[in-house]
Amino acid sequence: MKRAAQAMARVAAGKGVPFVKNPMLAAQLPLWRSRMVMFVLFAAFLGLIGRALWLQAISNQFLKKKGESRYARTIELPANRGKIFDRNGQVLATSVPVKAIWANPEETLQASTEQLAALAKLLDMGVTELVKKLDSDRNFVYLKRQVEPEVAEAIMKLKIEGVQTRKESKRHYPEADVMAHVVGFTNIEDVGQESMELSQQKNLVGVAGSRYVIKDRLGHIVEDIGDVREPRDGKDLNLSVDSKLQYIAYTQLKEAVTKFHAKAGAVVVLDVKNGEVLALANYPSYNPNDRRAVTGQQLRNRVMTDTFEPGSTMKPFTIALALETKRVTPNTVFQTAPGKMTIGTATIGDSHAHGALTVSQIIQKSSNVGTAKIALSMPPQETWEMYTKVGLGQAPKFGFPGAVAGRVRPYKSWRPIEQATMSYGHGISVSLMQLARSYMIFARDGDMIPLSFQKLGPNEVPNGQQVISPQTAKSVRAMLESVVTPEGTAPKAQVASYRVGGKTGTAYKVVGRQYDKGRYVGSFVGMAPMSNPRIIIAVMIDEPTGAFHYGGDVAAPTFSAVAANALRALNVTPDSSVTNIIIPTDGVQESL
Amino acid sequence: MSGRLCALLTLLLVLSSLSMVKAQYQARHLFMQLETAQTMARRLDTEWSQLQLDQSNLGMHSRIEARARKDLGMVALSSERTQYVKVEGK
Repeated sequence: MKRAAQAMARVAAGKGVPFVKNPMLAAQLPLWRSRMVMFVLFAAFLGLIGRALWLQAISNQFLKKKGESRYARTIELPANRGKIFDRNGQVLATSVPVKAIWANPEETLQASTEQLAALAKLLDMGVTELVKKLDSDRNFVYLKRQVEPEVAEAIMKLKIEGVQTRKESKRHYPEADVMAHVVGFTNIEDVGQESMELSQQKNLVGVAGSRYVIKDRLGHIVEDIGDVREPRDGKDLNLSVDSKLQYIAYTQLKEAVTKFHAKAGAVVVLDVKNGEVLALANYPSYNPNDRRAVTGQQLRNRVMTDTFEPGSTMKPFTIALALETKRVTPNTVFQTAPGKMTIGTATIGDSHAHGALTVSQIIQKSSNVGTAKIALSMPPQETWEMYTKVGLGQAPKFGFPGAVAGRVRPYKSWRPIEQATMSYGHGISVSLMQLARSYMIFARDGDMIPLSFQKLGPNEVPNGQQVISPQTAKSVRAMLESVVTPEGTAPKAQVASYRVGGKTGTAYKVVGRQYDKGRYVGSFVGMAPMSNPRIIIAVMIDEPTGAFHYGGDVAAPTFSAVAANALRALNVTPDSSVTNIIIPTDGVQESL
Repeated sequence: MSGRLCALLTLLLVLSSLSMVKAQYQARHLFMQLETAQTMARRLDTEWSQLQLDQSNLGMHSRIEARARKDLGMVALSSERTQYVKVEGK
């Protein structure tokens, strides 16, 4: 029937029968069919509306992200590491921009042999070495880091597939070996490894920032979206060190170590007025800009991290304590003949018998017997307190990595012989920095102040802690000045036009558990000018192996040279009219 | 009445839209200038630290000493040859 109707309709149309009269329309269809179509269409629309709602309102994160990734970019804003300056604003360490060269091995290995050869030459390595580096499964390999910008530019000009650069910074140390032990250095990741770079890492390091921006088709930044996180550069560091004094100290020390065939040496210069460290030199040193061949010996900071038995440089403390407690006066006479003294089973002695000496002369001639006699008249506890108050046996607190405490044994375990030897600096160990600082009580009027590695303001004077009276300090100063006369142990420490003073020290080195009588440490701690001390200089020469090994011979000349130059550099008014220095041919020999 | 109000409001709307376009354009333009200036500041900063480094390098005490001794034939000051002058009132 259906087929017949269709045929009829076709025939009708063919005959020009109008559409409304088309017999097809007269055909009756079941109602459910139109309803079904209606329902399907409605359901499809509902589905579309639901999907649109889902994408637009509920789960819109994904699309938003996709959209933003087409135009928005996060830019890293690198922060600079703080610079390090000396007290006069001279740069000691600064970061300069360099490039890291990296490659995608798979792409790069397809370059021609000539290209690879040219690349290897610019990278300062052999072709085989370069190929070996590129032999990797990863798609990121560092070829060389910290490359100078000019070299990086030349490399990019080779246009080798897969070779890229990345911004980096490199630390430069213009003063090189002279300042190495003060400033230290950073590793390739810009993290401090030694000295000030290490201890001030937290302040020096910057915080990188970032910004979220819209970029146009050409890569120009069009707009900031969201907040800009500003990078915070590291804080600059102003050290108390004076590069001029440091240079003087370093060159003089180098000369002395070479001249006396010593293993090593160290010098420290302190400002008496406010406790600033003006110079800290070590030899042997190293170049922090090129550390390929640096040895542990060179890295070692002998001023801060090495302890040694100070020898006679400790004597003034015993004398100061005796003067302070009114047990002696500078003119009290002690009999040191015959230059030997037996305490218990041990015997101590002077190098020469001096006979009867006043307290002043005991310091001047550096008599062990005299010092021991005075020391034994005092209770151990008082001596121990004195040592502790001047900072011995405690690590100095000014944030220098690896600063050591030295060793002062608790007084309860002191036997008389130990008390005697300790009074002239044996059986006790100190660092050169501690030793230099302890002389503050003589250079200042009897008080101790903390030291500082950072530059202090003009009115920033640290609070002192009184250890001995100004009167005692003055008496000891007079004795220290007598040491550098032709009658004392250190005439070689004299300085033309300035009054100076100090104390020599010579000690055997402790090897294992006993003294090695063939190895010495010669030292000298002094101050200048004596009329109003401005600087303290401590010199230590480790294992001099030439003809000389006494502190008065190996360390005192360095003191003299450093003091003469430093006083002039600091514009200190001369306080003496003596310009020609007399050094006796047969000086007083120090007791060991 | 309402027709006129409508026209007025339409005009205002068009004007406000145009001014917004202009403001946006100006903002972008100024932003570009700021961007250029900041890049310049960073470049100058780098140059400044490079110059500081150069100053330190050229002013190294060892270099000055070597130049003074070798090229200029100077000698270290000694106290016998020093005349000290006192400034009045000090």
